[in-house]
Amino acid sequence: MQEKLILQNKIERGDFARGGETSSKLKELLRKLGVPSDKSRRITIVTYELEMNIIIHSHGGEIQAYISSEKIKVVAADSGPGIEDLEKALQPGFSTADDEVRDMGFGAGMGLNNIQHYSDDVEIETGPGQPTRITATVYL
Amino acid sequence: MKKHSVLLKEELCEGCTNCVKNCPTKAIRVHHGKAIIKGELCIDCAECIRTCAYHAKYSMTDSFADLEDYAYPLVLIPPSFYSQFRKVSPLEVKNSLFKLGFKEVLDVSLAAEALSIKTAEFLEEHHGVFISSSCPVVVRLIRLLYPELTEHLLPFKPPVDVMAEKAWQDVMTRGISPEDIGIFFITPCPAKYTNIFSPLGFEKSYIDKGISVDQAYQAILEVRKEDNSAEKAGSGKDNPGKASPVEGTQETVLPYLGMGWGQSGGELRIMPESMQERSLSVSGIHRVKALLDEISRNNIKGIKYFELAACNYGCVGGVFNVVNPYQARFNLRRLQVKGSRPVEQDYGQYNYDLPGKFEPLRIGQLDTDLEKAMAKFMQLEKEIELLPGLDCAACGAPDCKTLAEDIVNGLASRSDCIFLLRKQVGELADRMSALAHELPPVMKKEKKDR
Ligand code: SF4
Repeated sequence: MQEKLILQNKIERGDFARGGETSSKLKELLRKLGVPSDKSRRITIVTYELEMNIIIHSHGGEIQAYISSEKIKVVAADSGPGIEDLEKALQPGFSTADDEVRDMGFGAGMGLNNIQHYSDDVEIETGPGQPTRITATVYL
Repeated sequence: MKKHSVLLKEELCEGCTNCVKNCPTKAIRVHHGKAIIKGELCIDCAECIRTCAYHAKYSMTDSFADLEDYAYPLVLIPPSFYSQFRKVSPLEVKNSLFKLGFKEVLDVSLAAEALSIKTAEFLEEHHGVFISSSCPVVVRLIRLLYPELTEHLLPFKPPVDVMAEKAWQDVMTRGISPEDIGIFFITPCPAKYTNIFSPLGFEKSYIDKGISVDQAYQAILEVRKEDNSAEKAGSGKDNPGKASPVEGTQETVLPYLGMGWGQSGGELRIMPESMQERSLSVSGIHRVKALLDEISRNNIKGIKYFELAACNYGCVGGVFNVVNPYQARFNLRRLQVKGSRPVEQDYGQYNYDLPGKFEPLRIGQLDTDLEKAMAKFMQLEKEIELLPGLDCAACGAPDCKTLAEDIVNGLASRSDCIFLLRKQVGELADRMSALAHELPPVMKKEKKDR
């Protein structure tokens, strides 16, 4: 089956009240589509991280999810401000979340490293002052 | 075969949709003014029994009459049962059960203490996060809606089944023949009753019958009343009275700490402090669901073990209970504090391990074939678009999305939605009125100018 868009959600900076909405929707959708639960769990975790990243770190953005016979692909695109030091951001436990956000239980130890851990494939396009676009894939 | 113990009395159902909206798995629909439970989605949580104002939802268990089928009936008391009594002590409760005809009266609390210790050891030895598996509703909920979390369920039997197996073996060693043995359980909820004929993670339960707490409560009160009047009448000769325990109940130390299992948090209290610090108790089906959502998306950090119960405050909140959960908690706590440490016993005498596995279920998919599911999904999106999104439940489904799904699955139609129906009627009326103004051709004369 060809790749099809199954979910598209706009996400605003600082909109904690809606944190988790996109990943919950995706999880429900994947269940309806009969995707095995272990795969769905992994992409749900990844999507949650991605949406929280947009809420916490970006100026806002959008998440899209696609499915085909081979894979589930989630694309998170924001309008900046970009990741300064990508290599550092990929280290385990690294998070730029400030203390307040950490206190809320968000952001601590989460982030790109976790996204990498749960996906089969991750592509990151970013740079200082640039928009960020992360594409995470889990193969079916 | 019987699969559930939550049922509907059709004649009492008014078709109000209260249960439809509150069912955690969206298992209920109202059709033709009557509620219908979809068996494959029902987890026997009894929320619908709680919400039904007309008492149309109910649950039936076995009764004391079933004792007659066995020459050697014995009964297992769940930790929460003692919470139903404020003035009757656990020993008196047990005595009454002997008088009601049981040959042995056993405390599940004893196995519960052992299981807690065993669980703490297991958690120390195993990497990862675990969820308690003693509440059957939680297990069913996870298999159904959170199948990705089944591997986190603790691979042990619930205390009642641990106790039942032990009881069975003990009786067998005494040379009693298997067909004479009848293991009864006093159950606080329909789900634990369901587990008797449809156990989770193993083939067959050692328990034969389940009697609801309210029946047992009533029977015990009656026995005690008889005792009291007999005493007053001075005929205490052939009636042992309440002061002297009947044969079989000794003044041993009772598993008071284990009785704490009857309410949320009681399991953890038996564990070493170092484990308690890394664990969390959550009760109430909707809260449990919200928590599982968080666990599922990996948004709960630093917790090793979750003690979960579907009823508010744990088993004291079971629907078969007589006393309200607040009083019950209070009563139970007074007992719990009597036990400073677990009863000394050989923990090796029990078999805790789940013989099978908690299998994840795959229910709720639109189709087994991804492509077909996808096509249905597109259709679903369209149907959702059409519906007003008010979630009024007047269609008999819990919300618009579920109705849309039912439509796509051929189980409902658009006109089930009263708003769509009204729109259709309106359009029809417009067309009728337009038609009414059309004239037959012979009368369609151009008006002449006068
Ligand atoms: S028992 Fe629970 S799951 Fe079953 S129909 Fe009632 S509310 Fe729904």
